Order: sequence, then C-alpha cells, then structure tokens
Amino acid sequence: MDGPLKELSKLERLTERAKGKTPSIENSLDSLLQSLREVKDRINAGSVTEDTYVLLAQTVEAKKKEIDEKQKEIYNGIARLGKALDKKFTQPLPTYEPLFASKDALAALERTIALHFLRTGQFSTAEAFIQECKMVIEPEQRIKFQDLHRIVLALKRQDIGPALEWSLKNREFLRKRSSPLEFYLHRSQFVRLLLAEPFDAGPAISYANATLRSFYPEHATEFQRLLTSVLYLPKERLQRSPYADLASDSVHTDLEPLFAKEYCTSLGMSRQVPLRVIGDIGGGGALARIEKARTVMKERKSEWSQTDELPVRTFSFVEANYVSLHLQIEIQLAPENRYHSIFACPVSKEQSTEQNPPMMMTCGHVITKESLQKLCKSNGFRRVKCPYCPTESTQANALHVVF
Amino acid sequence: MSSTKLNSEGVMLFEQPFARVPYENYRKVFRATQRNIERELGNVQTVTNDLLKRSKSREVNLEDAVKSVDGMIGRVENLKRKLSELQDTAGKPTLDVTRERLQHLMAVEALQTTGSLDFSRWADTRLDRWLVDWALRTGRENTARTLAQDRNIETLVDIDLFTDIRRIELALSKHSCTEALAWCSENKTALRKIKSTLEFELRLQEYIELARDQKKQEAMAYSKKHLVSWQETHLPQIMQAATLLAIKPSTTCGPYRRLYDDSRWLDLIQAFRLAIYNLNSLPTEPLLNLALYSGLASLKLPSCNDRSSHNVDCPVCDPSINTLAQEVPFSHHANSTIVCRISGKIMDEDNMPMVFPNGQVYSREALEDMAAKHNGMVTCQVTGQKCEFNALKKVFIS
Repeated sequence: MDGPLKELSKLERLTERAKGKTPSIENSLDSLLQSLREVKDRINAGSVTEDTYVLLAQTVEAKKKEIDEKQKEIYNGIARLGKALDKKFTQPLPTYEPLFASKDALAALERTIALHFLRTGQFSTAEAFIQECKMVIEPEQRIKFQDLHRIVLALKRQDIGPALEWSLKNREFLRKRSSPLEFYLHRSQFVRLLLAEPFDAGPAISYANATLRSFYPEHATEFQRLLTSVLYLPKERLQRSPYADLASDSVHTDLEPLFAKEYCTSLGMSRQVPLRVIGDIGGGGALARIEKARTVMKERKSEWSQTDELPVRTFSFVEANYVSLHLQIEIQLAPENRYHSIFACPVSKEQSTEQNPPMMMTCGHVITKESLQKLCKSNGFRRVKCPYCPTESTQANALHVVF
Repeated sequence: MSSTKLNSEGVMLFEQPFARVPYENYRKVFRATQRNIERELGNVQTVTNDLLKRSKSREVNLEDAVKSVDGMIGRVENLKRKLSELQDTAGKPTLDVTRERLQHLMAVEALQTTGSLDFSRWADTRLDRWLVDWALRTGRENTARTLAQDRNIETLVDIDLFTDIRRIELALSKHSCTEALAWCSENKTALRKIKSTLEFELRLQEYIELARDQKKQEAMAYSKKHLVSWQETHLPQIMQAATLLAIKPSTTCGPYRRLYDDSRWLDLIQAFRLAIYNLNSLPTEPLLNLALYSGLASLKLPSCNDRSSHNVDCPVCDPSINTLAQEVPFSHHANSTIVCRISGKIMDEDNMPMVFPNGQVYSREALEDMAAKHNGMVTCQVTGQKCEFNALKKVFIS
C-alpha cells in the first residue's frame, strides 16, 4: 500500500492551503479581489482610464491562468493516485450470476446473519435486522446468546459468579468432558484474593479450603502449586518465582474463551463463529484461487463448453440420479478447519463415497473398494499383493473402515 | 489458533472497492471545484473584456462601471467561499477517508500470519464491513447504520454512496428519470469511457412517456434534442422510437408493447445499478456473497450432508448454512485427511489411526486416553462395541 499512500500524501500537500509550488487558489483569488477593489476605488475617485481596464483584463487573465495551472497540478496528482491504485489492484472482483437468490437461500442467509449478530453480542444490530427482515427468531435462541454475553461480560469485569453458577448447573456435562472450567474459575478467584492489597494470605487459604479442596483428585499437581505459591508473596516476588504464570493475566483472561467453548458445546453450537470461519477462508485466498483457475481454463479453452464456467467438474451418481459439482482445484485448509475425514484412494486418486468406501487390507493399508476389485480382477480373483507392501490378502478379508 | 501465512493477494482481491470508492468521491469533488471555477472566472473574464471594449469606444459611464466591478467582486468572493466550503466539507474529509482506508489495508499487509489477535480483530472488522455492504445493497439501511455506528466503522463503509443509489432508484421506481439523468451528466466522461448506454435508455424512456401521453409534437422535439445525437450507435432504436408515435400504448405488437411495458423501468433500475457499481469498481454481487461462495466451496464435503457424520463445529453442517451450500460446488481433495471423531485432531504418524474390529477408526491418543481411564478397555463411540486396547489394529493411510 506504500505506492498509493505516497501519492495520497503528495495530493494532500497540493490541496492544503498556501502550500505547493504554485500559489494556492485562495491567494490568487485574494489578489484578484484586491485588483478589483483598486479599480473600484479608481472609478469612484474618477481617476479611471482606459489603461486601468487594460490592466484589469490582463490581471484577470493572469490569475485565471494561475488558478488553472494549480488545478492542473491537482488533476495530475489525482491521476497519479489512480495509477498507483491500478498498480496495487490489478484484478477486479469477478462477476457471478446472482448468488443465494432463491427464496430458501435468502431466508437461510438472513437467519445466518441474524444468528451471527446475536452470537457476537451485537444485540441492537440484531434487533434492527430482525425487524427489517420481518423474520422470526425463537426466543430461546436469543436467551441462549444473551446468557453467553452476560456471563462473558461478567468474566471481563473479573466477576466469576455467573460463570460459576452456570458450571454448577452443568457439572455433569463438564465432568464428562473432563473440563477444567470450574476448577479454573476457582483458581482465578483464589489468585485474585492472594494478590489483593494489602497482603493477607488468610482469605485465599480459606477460599482454597472451601472450594478448591474437592478438586484435589483431578488436579493434584495444580492444587499443590497454588498452595505453595503462597510462600512467594507478594506479587513482585511471585513474578520472579517458578510460579510466575500465576501472576499473569491469562489466569483470568483465558477463562472467557474456555467458558465460551464449553457453553457453545453444551448447546450444540460450533466453537468458532461460523460466518467468520467461512469469510476468512473465502477472503483469505479461496476466491483468488478459484478465479485464477477460471482464467487458466479460459486460456486453455479446454473441454468445458462455456468459457465462463467455474473450475468445476461434474460427477454423476447413477444410483442417486443426481449431478453434483466439484471444484477442480484444491484449496488448502488450516488443520483447525478440517471438520470431516476425507479419504482419497492412493491408487485411483478418487475420494471415497458410500458406494465406493475405503477398505483396509489385512496389512493395514487402505484403498477404495473399486480399486481393490480391479486389483483382484487383474489377478484372476486370487490373492492380491498390497500395492504398498509385500503382504498378500484376499478381497473377502478386507475390512470396510469408517473414519 | 493456527498460524497460517497471510495470503495478501487473496485478501486484497476483495479490497479494491474499499480503496476506490473514496478515490472516486474525491474526483467528484474535484470536478465540482473545476465547474465552479470555470463558471465564475469565465464570467469575470467576459465582464472585464466587455468593460475594456466599452471604455475603448467611450461608452462606459462611471455608475455602470462600478456596478460591473461590484458584480465581479461579488462573484469572486462567492467563488472563494464556495471553494473553501467544498474543501472543508468534502475535499478534506474525502482525502482523510482515503488515507484511513489505505492505512487500514497497510495494517493487514504488515501482518505475517492469520493466527495473531491483530488479524482476528481486522477480520472481525472486515466481516462487519461486508455485512454493512450486504445490508445496504439489499435495502436494510437501518441494520447497516446501526451496525456501522455500533462498531464505529462509519468511515470504512459507504453508506452515503448507497443512500444516493437508493434515492435515484426510488425515483426510477416512481417513473422519474430526472435524478438518474442528473447523475449521468455528473459522470458523463466516466460513463463514456465504459461505453455505458444508460443515458440513452433513460432518454428513450422519457420519450416513450411522451408517446404514451400522445404528446406527439413534444415527443418529436424531444427526440431531435436528446435521441438523435446517439444515431451513430443507436439508429435502429431511434427509428423504432419514431414509429412508436404511430402506435397506441394498447398495442399487442411485440417490440412496441415491450417499449410501453412498465417492466422497462425495472430494467432501467438494473442498468443504473450496473453503471454506478462499475464506476466505483463495486462487484455486482455483495462482497459477503463472494466470500461465502468461495469459502463454502473450500469446505463443503459430502459428509456435511450426511447426518451420521454431522460435526457441530463444521460451519457447513449448520442447518441454515447448509441450505446456502446447496448452491456451491463440493471441495476437491487429492490427499486424505483423517480427523478423529473423538478429539477432532488430525491423525498422522505421531497419532496413528486405530481401527476397532467393526471397522470404526479413531485416533490413538484419544483411545489411549480412554483406555487409561477404563482399565485398558475402549468403547466405540458410534456402535458401542467394547474391546481391549490391544485388540485395536493400526491403519496405514498413504
């Protein structure tokens, strides 16, 4: 963005008053006004001659020229900024047929956006939106998100009360997941009491006695660390001790994401904000990749009939009797965005399907059913050698695996 | 959070309109400035030359001369005031917005990875910007304003531009071309450059309305004044328009019925939209839709439509988003990725996939964890099959 910013700075300097190479338009106009007033005085004084008018005409001409030149300078500055932007943004956004325009898709998009506003705690925007779209969002959905934000806001204020109340209500769920949430909430409170001014370990120790004790079986080590840290007080000493991590803010701030994660899971919601996940992938290179592939295809004028078609390939499932579109190119995803297993057969390079599932041979190597069948066929339906190791096996011994 | 390298090119693909809109706005301010200067100074020039001429032929009396000079002083003072007003209320603020936006883009270019909190904040703002753009394009102005105010991003979104678009579209939907024509004349050069025929279509509509009212004389005069200048490119249409005068609005004859048809106004709205988007390098589709389309196509798998492999964390498995994904192609993968259905972790050599006797596969780490808690016994999450950890087999995925 350096290029455009440089040109912008130049343009700003040009348009600021009383700067730039040529006199500012304001100055030129001022001096023109002065000439005009002088002429007026002369007329009033009766000392006006033809020369006065000649001179005035010349002044007007000169000042107009001055102003025109200044305008030209600015015009050129604008053009240079435009060129710098052209250079920075070489590819225009693509043109697509209207997307998500069907009635169902539009309703789904509206609902997705409404839930996004609620989930991210933008309640006033959500209300404005729900009203404008005249849609219905179930009251329990709103309450769910309002609770989430009420509790997170309390955590931000260092008030663990509401979060603790929630985790007590959901103790069974948290225990099943062996979630440390409740323990960490108490830990945060313990550390807060410990580091409160003036220094007094009493309240912290009695708090630990009352609340943390019951967590000893699952969190023995951490429990011991917490109580030993008392020996390293006050805070300045603790920060230089092996227990420095307890003095850091993350003991308290990490509670927000941890709580949000548990809360969302308990209600069957995704751990990340879905619209952000999709948007970040689309706006982080996926669209650029798809467009690049489209350009290449257009250049090659390959087997696709329509040149403006997307880089997709059609698969016909004869049994299901429907046609589905697949992207032709692979868009790399971060590990955290891998939500389902994908099995691509190392022999045929095809993705497994319900009709063509992954099969594990006795040696543990996996190929798709069709590939295995082909191998058997070419071998006269006898034992087949695994393509990846010397082990021989039979089709009947292969196990249909599910990932 | 992972620390994926930031794909600057991919990010910037979406940002052209973000940088362009204020730039185009500034050009508009410049043109307004230029028009004022030409008009006022041109007039002053004429008056001075006139004074000079009259003084040469000794026709000027003092009283008239003072009046002329006063008039010029008034004009120049007026021009000075107008220019400073334009600079303060439009020029400077527009350049400020341009600067803010370029710096906003520079900030993200400086980030190396997408794992940082800084990027997360930037991406939050980006999504907010996309949502405002979407809301403005689909006529949810109140949502757009509330969101922009709430998130304090008013200078990062183009509410004014879209308010203008709505004003002109509303006029067109009320069968008035005046506002759209005014916009065309403001952007004459730019429209010519993109070879837009919007102005002709608008003029033709005004002519059709005269024909509809059977005002034949006026229609002919209008055609002479506004349509004929397009004859090089639009002769057939102009001739058809001439014939229209002989045909009543109740006609059933195809081409003429189409000219009289009210749906022509909808076409005009569409054409106007295309033109103004084009001039501001805005895409025809909302930015949000483009991002969703490509994002969904990267994620969508057949498993997302299968109840048995539903994953709450997968955005495409969300019921509403799944409906959107129906319009999008499936993603393509040349290599296997095996994700553990217990831990959500990707399996590899360090965390091998292990298979139950019934064929269900989970990650070694998750199963070891389970075995440690249950005396070496493991339970399949899907089928409930129980067996000893030792009975599991390693699976090799190449």
